[in-house]
Amino acid sequence: MNKFTRISVIILVLALAFSGIVFANGNSEKTDTAAAAKIIVGMATDTGGLGDKSFNDGSYEGVKKAAVDFNLDARVVESKQQTDYVPNLAGLAEDGSKVVFAIGFLMADAMIEVAKNNPDTVFAGIDIGLDPATAPKNVQGLLFKEQESGYVAGVLAGLMTKKYASVSDRLNDDNVVGMVLGMDIPPVERYQAGFYAGVKSVNPDCKVLSVVTGVFTDQAKGKESALAMIEQGADIIFQIAGLTGIGALNAADEAGVAGIGVDVDQYGVAPEAIMTSAVKGITQATYLTVKDVINDKFVGGGNRTFGINEDATGIAPYHNWNSLIPAEVKDAVDKAIADLKSGKVVAPASRAEAGYEG
Amino acid sequence: MEGILAILNTDLLVATIRLSTPITLAAVGATICERSGIVNIAMEGMMIMGAFFAVVVAYFTGNPWLGLLAGVVAGGIFSLVHAVATVTFHLDHVVSGAVLNILSFGIVRYLMVLFFGHPGTTEPIPHGLNEYQFAIPGLSKIPVLGSMFFNQTPIVYMSFLLIIAALFFLKRTKVGLHLRAAGEHPMALETIGVSVYKMRYLGVLISGLFSGLAGAYLSIENAVSFTEGMSNGRGFIALAAMISGGWTAIGSFLAALFFGFADAFQIRMQIFKVLPIPAEIFIIFPYVATVIAVAGLVRKSRSPKADGIDFIIEREDG
Amino acid sequence: MEITKLKPVFYTLAAISGVVGMAMYFSSIFSGIFLIIAAIVIYYIYRGLLTSYKTAKAEVYSVLKSMLIPLVGIIAAILIGAIIMVLTGYNPVRAYKALFYGGFVKNWSISVLNATPLLFTGLSVAFAFKAGLFNIGAEGQYYVGAMVATFLGITFNLPPVVSIILIFIIGGLLAAAYNFIPALLKVKTGAHEVITTMMFAHIAKYLSSIFIRGMGGDSAGSHPYVTDPIRDSNFLMKFKTIFPSANYRVHIGILIGIGMALLVSYILYRTTFGYEIRAIGQNKDAARGQGINVGKNIFIALLFAGFLSGFAGVTQVIGLDHKMFENLNAGYGWNGVSVALLAANNPIGVIFTALLWGALDAGGQYMSRTTQTPNSIVEIIKGIILFLLVAKYIWAWLGHRLKRWLGKRLQKNGGVQ
Repeated sequence: MNKFTRISVIILVLALAFSGIVFANGNSEKTDTAAAAKIIVGMATDTGGLGDKSFNDGSYEGVKKAAVDFNLDARVVESKQQTDYVPNLAGLAEDGSKVVFAIGFLMADAMIEVAKNNPDTVFAGIDIGLDPATAPKNVQGLLFKEQESGYVAGVLAGLMTKKYASVSDRLNDDNVVGMVLGMDIPPVERYQAGFYAGVKSVNPDCKVLSVVTGVFTDQAKGKESALAMIEQGADIIFQIAGLTGIGALNAADEAGVAGIGVDVDQYGVAPEAIMTSAVKGITQATYLTVKDVINDKFVGGGNRTFGINEDATGIAPYHNWNSLIPAEVKDAVDKAIADLKSGKVVAPASRAEAGYEG
Repeated sequence: MEGILAILNTDLLVATIRLSTPITLAAVGATICERSGIVNIAMEGMMIMGAFFAVVVAYFTGNPWLGLLAGVVAGGIFSLVHAVATVTFHLDHVVSGAVLNILSFGIVRYLMVLFFGHPGTTEPIPHGLNEYQFAIPGLSKIPVLGSMFFNQTPIVYMSFLLIIAALFFLKRTKVGLHLRAAGEHPMALETIGVSVYKMRYLGVLISGLFSGLAGAYLSIENAVSFTEGMSNGRGFIALAAMISGGWTAIGSFLAALFFGFADAFQIRMQIFKVLPIPAEIFIIFPYVATVIAVAGLVRKSRSPKADGIDFIIEREDG
Repeated sequence: MEITKLKPVFYTLAAISGVVGMAMYFSSIFSGIFLIIAAIVIYYIYRGLLTSYKTAKAEVYSVLKSMLIPLVGIIAAILIGAIIMVLTGYNPVRAYKALFYGGFVKNWSISVLNATPLLFTGLSVAFAFKAGLFNIGAEGQYYVGAMVATFLGITFNLPPVVSIILIFIIGGLLAAAYNFIPALLKVKTGAHEVITTMMFAHIAKYLSSIFIRGMGGDSAGSHPYVTDPIRDSNFLMKFKTIFPSANYRVHIGILIGIGMALLVSYILYRTTFGYEIRAIGQNKDAARGQGINVGKNIFIALLFAGFLSGFAGVTQVIGLDHKMFENLNAGYGWNGVSVALLAANNPIGVIFTALLWGALDAGGQYMSRTTQTPNSIVEIIKGIILFLLVAKYIWAWLGHRLKRWLGKRLQKNGGVQ
């Protein structure tokens, strides 16, 4: 044998020895259930993973809080591709989770399948809409009426951009507002449609601009999109673009105009510029679901919609803008919320419904 | 029609500069690298490394200038891997580049979890380089050009200077000439006693530093945090820019401007609702433009003669 | 009796044993490995009888040897990964146990599912590499194949087998057509295919959003950013129909992939076209000197590469998803590059590297769930594995240095000056 082969054989032997050590204790799928005298609550994220500062993070916050409050063991798995959904969900169930969260509609089919095979575990899906006629009893869909949050934010923006623009240097007289979108997917569209309707309801002449960036992770694109609209006079930028949107908010801040965050309270991104955020009570949704399961109050087989009536959609506190926003505006916002709750006003859930081309 | 005309204004051009800067930097760096004979398709990975480490240092020290340095150095060190692989180990250039791109994503993700506790995006840095925007007195008052070139942020200014420096380096300095020879007639270079290997290492290193700077621009000047994937294909567009620019510094700059322009234009087209078509059609405009540019312009230029061709030399080193 | 007359007997025996064995193994019936080994043995017995024992033995050794280098690279990467884990506070033994158990045993079916599209895109990239072309835009061709399969899957209402064959062919052809412009530009203007195919890949991704919105439910509905599901009759067969104990999702796409790998191997090594392709890949000018029509061959090669990636999209839609999802960043095209590189662009090797990648992914998920080790370590391991491809060149370089060093020692110690 030549030298090369000899060395390779040595390495192979070492590798075999190593794997011998690794597998010496026999294969097992025993996970860390040793420590799990606690009940487990599991969460499988979608391919975006944690760190998105909204969706997945928000859900996890709720899970973690519930884990603390109810003394549970919180486990999270980040899926990388579609094939991971079923094994992740099933695996979490088999680990003994009492409730497993699936994040994002992409997991819908996987969740239903796994739920059927694990009837003792509760499954809840964020943004997953179920058909009540066919859904298994241990599953629940958690839906959000983003359009309501968008509507309320729109009312605020519509009033502030023109009529009450004088309260801050960041606002101008041009009567233009802008939205930066990530990918043009339904939750994004719902926010957009609601915002448009909200603006138009108090300020019919306002020009509402939108730019689609097509991506949720490109801050530079978000910045450029915001700046382009600011050049056209937009003084309030509503971001519906995830991390791309962070770029948009920063750009708004730098350019000396105002911004509105999305999904969670994002005022921390630019404390001087951000008037409010159109929020989606993801954290609440997961927390309440766990709470219900722990207290045996869970009712599955359908959807639970989180909207204004559950206080799960709406807007975040005004923070630094609190002193700037006039009482009339705050009243108008409160009125909008009340109207949505009473059903007097219905926020449109799509551009078509809102009569907006985008 | 009035809609389209309204788009053409100074802001569009200023945005062009902003959008093209990272591409310019990476492309000019790549020009130098390829002139020395090494094909570099790993600029995407180098950019990501630069962007990430710029944020890490800027975040933990609070000083964006240190972050800038870190980004540049990170890009440089990462590029040395490419240099070792292609120059010393004679690995196929394209293969090495592709692998480095893949490696960079894994490393950054792992380190992000390590340093920040979670993947996705980092916390914002306390101070970004955008705070240091300044207008050059006098020159910035020139209509149009003034705002474009003389009222910008630090790295943008650096990019202008670096283009000129690169041009000077390649055409006027002895080292630059040697570097070009390494890419055109490596054997001839060896016979006059200059090490082709050394020149190629230099070429790769320079492109790594430039790409690292481009990455730092993305994360600490154009933004205030790092997001995974924030380079979004710019490394490859820079490659296209270099090729359409005919492997020259000025050409790369012009090509990068063209792509930046296409992107800035597409955004404004959406705002003005020029056509009632889905937004994605606008979004793909820069990519289509890239293809057209590469197709149309490549005819006129050729790559350095020994670009991508491996060079092995036996040396007596007692 | 002429041994060649028995060729069909041997080959059929080997084929049946191989296919059944593989079907079993992919259905997680691991005893199928014996049938696979039997198939290989039968094949080499035939080779031995045909030529000679010595030649056959040499053939076997050369195959084993070519597998050695990637294997060494993989093992080295795993060891380095272990070091990284230790340095950052994770337990490598526990992690690797979970990784390998999850990937190769418990969730083997998931590994197979992961591997299937990678096999096709890997073949696509590998084939293009043989011609000296870098089909980095395989992702775009994947999307085209998927879109076509979705559209036809929803609309076609033909007998299942006919339907599926048609969907494959049309999907593949349209994906090949998607590479038409890059191929044309490459031949006519020399435009580098890295750039053109990559740009086209980005374009396909954005166009797919429009497609999915068009083919799918309305935005207020419950399954908004997916298309309608394809008809049941257009589902690709699953292993479960043969082996009831198989996981209910694993489909026969992997077998189709292996078949394609054999086909690609045949084309590359047994046809004139393949010969010309490889000649161009090794030295374009020399090939031209030999009289090979470089332009035409490059053109066809890029189209064929597109065809193969298109199959990836088709199998994914009619085999696994049965619809098309938006925002699904699985990156099969990009990962196909890794898979091809690791297999040194050998079509048969791609089968193994695709399965390895699929297992690392599945195992990584299992590992991250059960040991809470971040699965980014798997990404790093993959990167190191790839980088250690260089192992081959390092070996050569080391070996070269060693020889020279030894040579000098000999000279110094009394050889003739």
